[in-house]
Amino acid sequence: MNRQIIHMDLDSFFVSVERLLDSSLNGKPVIIGGTSDRGVVASCSYEARQFGVHSAMPSRMAKQLCPQAIFVRGDMDSYSRHSNVVTKIIEERAPLVEKASIDEHYIDITGMDRFIKNSMLWSHELRESIIKETGLPISFGLSVNKTVSKVATGEAKPSGEKRVDAGIEKLFLAPLSIKKIPGIGGKTFTLLRNMGIEKVETIQQMPLPMIQRVLGENGQSIWKKANGIDNNPVQPYSEQKSMSSETTFDKDTTDIEQLRRVLIKMIEKLAFDLRKSKKVTGCVTLKLRYSDFQTHTFQTKVAYTASDHVLLDKILELFKKNYSRRVLIRLIGIKFSNLVSGFTQINLFDDSEEMINLYQSMDKIRKRFGFKAIMKSINLKVKNDS
Amino acid sequence: MKFIASSTTLLKQLQSISGVLNSNNTLPILDNFLFELNDDSLVVSASDLETTITTKIQISKAEESGCVAIPAKILLDTLKTFSDIPVSFTIDDKNFGIEISAGEGKYRLTGHDGNEFPKLPTLESTSSLTINSLLLTKAINKTIFATGNDELRPIMSGVFCQLSTKSITFVATDAHKLVRYTRNDAKSESDAAFILPKKPLNQLKNILGNQDTPVKIEYNNTNAFFSFENVNLICRLIEGKYPNYEAVIPAENPNKLTIDRISFLSSIKRVAIFANQSTHQVRLKITGRELVLSAEDLDFSNEAKERLSCQYEGDDMEIGFNSKFILEMLTNLETDEINLEMSAPNRAGILLPVNSENKSEDVLMLVMPVMLNG
Repeated sequence: MNRQIIHMDLDSFFVSVERLLDSSLNGKPVIIGGTSDRGVVASCSYEARQFGVHSAMPSRMAKQLCPQAIFVRGDMDSYSRHSNVVTKIIEERAPLVEKASIDEHYIDITGMDRFIKNSMLWSHELRESIIKETGLPISFGLSVNKTVSKVATGEAKPSGEKRVDAGIEKLFLAPLSIKKIPGIGGKTFTLLRNMGIEKVETIQQMPLPMIQRVLGENGQSIWKKANGIDNNPVQPYSEQKSMSSETTFDKDTTDIEQLRRVLIKMIEKLAFDLRKSKKVTGCVTLKLRYSDFQTHTFQTKVAYTASDHVLLDKILELFKKNYSRRVLIRLIGIKFSNLVSGFTQINLFDDSEEMINLYQSMDKIRKRFGFKAIMKSINLKVKNDS
Repeated sequence: MKFIASSTTLLKQLQSISGVLNSNNTLPILDNFLFELNDDSLVVSASDLETTITTKIQISKAEESGCVAIPAKILLDTLKTFSDIPVSFTIDDKNFGIEISAGEGKYRLTGHDGNEFPKLPTLESTSSLTINSLLLTKAINKTIFATGNDELRPIMSGVFCQLSTKSITFVATDAHKLVRYTRNDAKSESDAAFILPKKPLNQLKNILGNQDTPVKIEYNNTNAFFSFENVNLICRLIEGKYPNYEAVIPAENPNKLTIDRISFLSSIKRVAIFANQSTHQVRLKITGRELVLSAEDLDFSNEAKERLSCQYEGDDMEIGFNSKFILEMLTNLETDEINLEMSAPNRAGILLPVNSENKSEDVLMLVMPVMLNG
């Protein structure tokens, strides 16, 4: 039986949210992203895209390409609030929803024929009501699996709808650029492009072993996607596997004190997020990128915890051990993985009652007034670090 | 060197001391049992450098004294297959060739020079005391589960023994739980304290089993020496200063829960199945005369809740624990009812037996809660 999968994607989501809040941005090129020298574009409006601006591009380059663009710093909290409203509307109507990212949802309506007579009409109505209720433009693609639906959405954008019927997935994909296949990123694209492969059609005609030889393990999945084959189910819930934070410095640095401050700040924030989501971590990772873009990661196991000082000790230990070369650091990052639900076990000798009470009071204040309401004094003066 | 011994006696004795052997040794000689024959007494030793156990084995015939190291694994595997028959060992003193003959079979293997086996440390300036083996095994059983495994804190991987002229106290902690076991019916002539490592204590416990016999303990600053019946055990003590455990046991615990031990135990066991399988955390919510146990695993949407009636004095409170710790403690207590004394959700909970029959013992088990947030 053919499945019916809908992929819904909010058009230039961050920009749309900003426009809701400030209508003067309508019709103008808007770029969301860091404005510092090292910032990158997180999202941009279609008007800006005409100038060649695209997401993940350095802000500086975007400024050169489109000097009249309006730069907005962006507010993740507000975006995720709006995203949740959209998710709620979809979940009210759809039987099986996977939230793939902040602005993407997959819906599986397979076998709902008795209730949904015309799936295109049903999706259209869902889309209309999202636009009506939230004011955010959204596009969708309807097809037999996640990959084809996603590509269809990409073709439908902006603010459009596209259906790819069962049996013609291959035909639909064939004339498209290989860049449209999810999973073909910068490196794979360059590799394939250098081999003279431009259209999906070419991959479709290649025998599987050949593409596997070129792309290794990844080859099979890309070949399948190019042929419109994707058996991945729509998964309603996937647990968060890790939490991470990174800071790119305005200027590469070797200042140990500054690095330490940034680490402390990131750990404070992440550990607070951990505790807020009632989780503890069992593995911490430190990431260092030097000015020559060489990137190294170091990880170590910890007994399950969400305590600032335990995590800080571990990270600083990793940092001390591994940052021995006096090379300029461009980026520093930390990641907590192996997350499980639970609370920090209090230590009989290391944790004093005062400290535990302090942590809990700080968390209480932060939950009510926001993370920045209270912080370690060491970080008061370094607001501009990140 | 030559002797004859019964296969079952030999196997039993060797197995009892074989627990001390490590599976991978830095010194190859430690993969062997040391056999020492003097006139008609055979003494066998096994060692891992930290701990050495020797046992005297009954033999029926002995010729020529000597000593040899015999590969432990081959010897044990061979002896296991014999029914109860006499086994004769003939050892060539020059090349350490060993010939074992039993029934119709003859088996050859090569041993090593017994003099290569590490020598036992000689104990100087020791003090000593004698305690009953049942008391010792009970103290080990009550405390050893609470010892830590952290290689960075070796001190906590042992049991702290505090001797005084009035009593003996055994303490174990891994910083999350703590057990203090005091016996008033055992005494020492002087005050002393040392930390015994976990491994030799486990060996002692296994060898002693249910035996009721006096155990002589000699100790100095570096080693402890246990002797009873035909067994001697010598072990190195853990060096360092034991944490000040008395200071962390809260004295004021106004919230007191009294509950049936077995029903508490089985409820926690059940509820913990629904807790996250890495953290095993359960929540205790006490209001009035009612205790509600609950656990949840957000990742799988598992949830459990159980109501238990109890006696309670104090303010309503909610506290979270690692269920593993509580279970271990409850299984190691014996009374029908237990007390759980608490002061605040961030401070230790103390488990105590109610109406213990044994008036000469004093047990205190302490467990640290988890930091419930939100």
